[in-house]
Amino acid sequence: MIIAERKKLGELLEMVKGCRRLLVLGCRGCVAVCSAGGDKEVSVLASAIRLGLSRQGKEIEIEERTLVRQCDPEYIDPLNEDASDFDAVLSMACGVGVNFIADRCGKVNVLPALDTTFYGANLSSGEWKEMCAGCGACVLHLTGGLCPVARCAKSLSNGPCGGSQNGRCEIHPDVSCIWQQIYDKLSGLNRSDEMKNIMPMRDWTSAGHGGPRRRIREDLLP
Amino acid sequence: MSRIKAICCNYTLSVEPDALKSAGLVPEDVEFERLPCTGRLEVPELLDAFTQGAAAVFVVGCELDKCHNLSGSRRASKRVAQAKKILEELDMDPGLVEMFFAGRGETEPVVEAARLMAARAARAKKAQ
Repeated sequence: MIIAERKKLGELLEMVKGCRRLLVLGCRGCVAVCSAGGDKEVSVLASAIRLGLSRQGKEIEIEERTLVRQCDPEYIDPLNEDASDFDAVLSMACGVGVNFIADRCGKVNVLPALDTTFYGANLSSGEWKEMCAGCGACVLHLTGGLCPVARCAKSLSNGPCGGSQNGRCEIHPDVSCIWQQIYDKLSGLNRSDEMKNIMPMRDWTSAGHGGPRRRIREDLLP
Repeated sequence: MSRIKAICCNYTLSVEPDALKSAGLVPEDVEFERLPCTGRLEVPELLDAFTQGAAAVFVVGCELDKCHNLSGSRRASKRVAQAKKILEELDMDPGLVEMFFAGRGETEPVVEAARLMAARAARAKKAQ
């Protein structure tokens, strides 16, 4: 899922300081699962903004709402009708939701409440870890399912580097070296010989450096 | 809104608040709210109390390993910790919201908590 976290309240208060009517808009997709922008977080943020602005002697009317998703037109298009009279919509979706509202709702002044950080998995309650970089060219079939792009500090295609010590990363010693883990995984599968194959220089054109990426499935087009 | 808001569970507020006040055990400006269990508490309730004028807010739940609802007071203490972080972000004293634990039917810890929080509120007002 997409992982995100709330921006600092000081930054958010600065964003909304001129607002009289504000819609705090949550999303029940990824950000609800990673406890950054679901119903509960909407409620907490609205209360925190009310408190912060009241301490500055400012009054604000805040409406709290949460959409099923903010990355599908059927949920956000109605904002064109009922959200344009708010001074701003403070979106608690990931950056996708904020962009989509900005694209499709011309009269809505949308602001981001979250910093979108990575694609990750839920390790345990309250802990998430990056697992995928969305680079557009998976090599997981070569690496035992473990991603060196997202999980190696240097995104090495052929590792481990010389700094890997005792199975630990030299950049972050509290993190396991993913290339050590790849070796261990492939060894367990009797595939360690595959590590002798040098992965060719990586083509990063699929990684988003050439502008926004797009996927089309023609059989689903209207 | 009273200057101090107290949120207690059904088991830590066994004496009527008015009786505590008329006996002079807790300050007059402490407003008590009784919840079935402090595990029901949510962060907005703590923050909204400040917005509505409270100078300090405290919660009294069952002792951690003796909560009537097993983990209610543990949940409440986490919500209080979250509220503290938000107060810090808003440049407020995080000590103005606090979690206390009391045994079933014990009044003294509640009284002590009320007095402590009243003192903190007074110090915060003086520092303004």
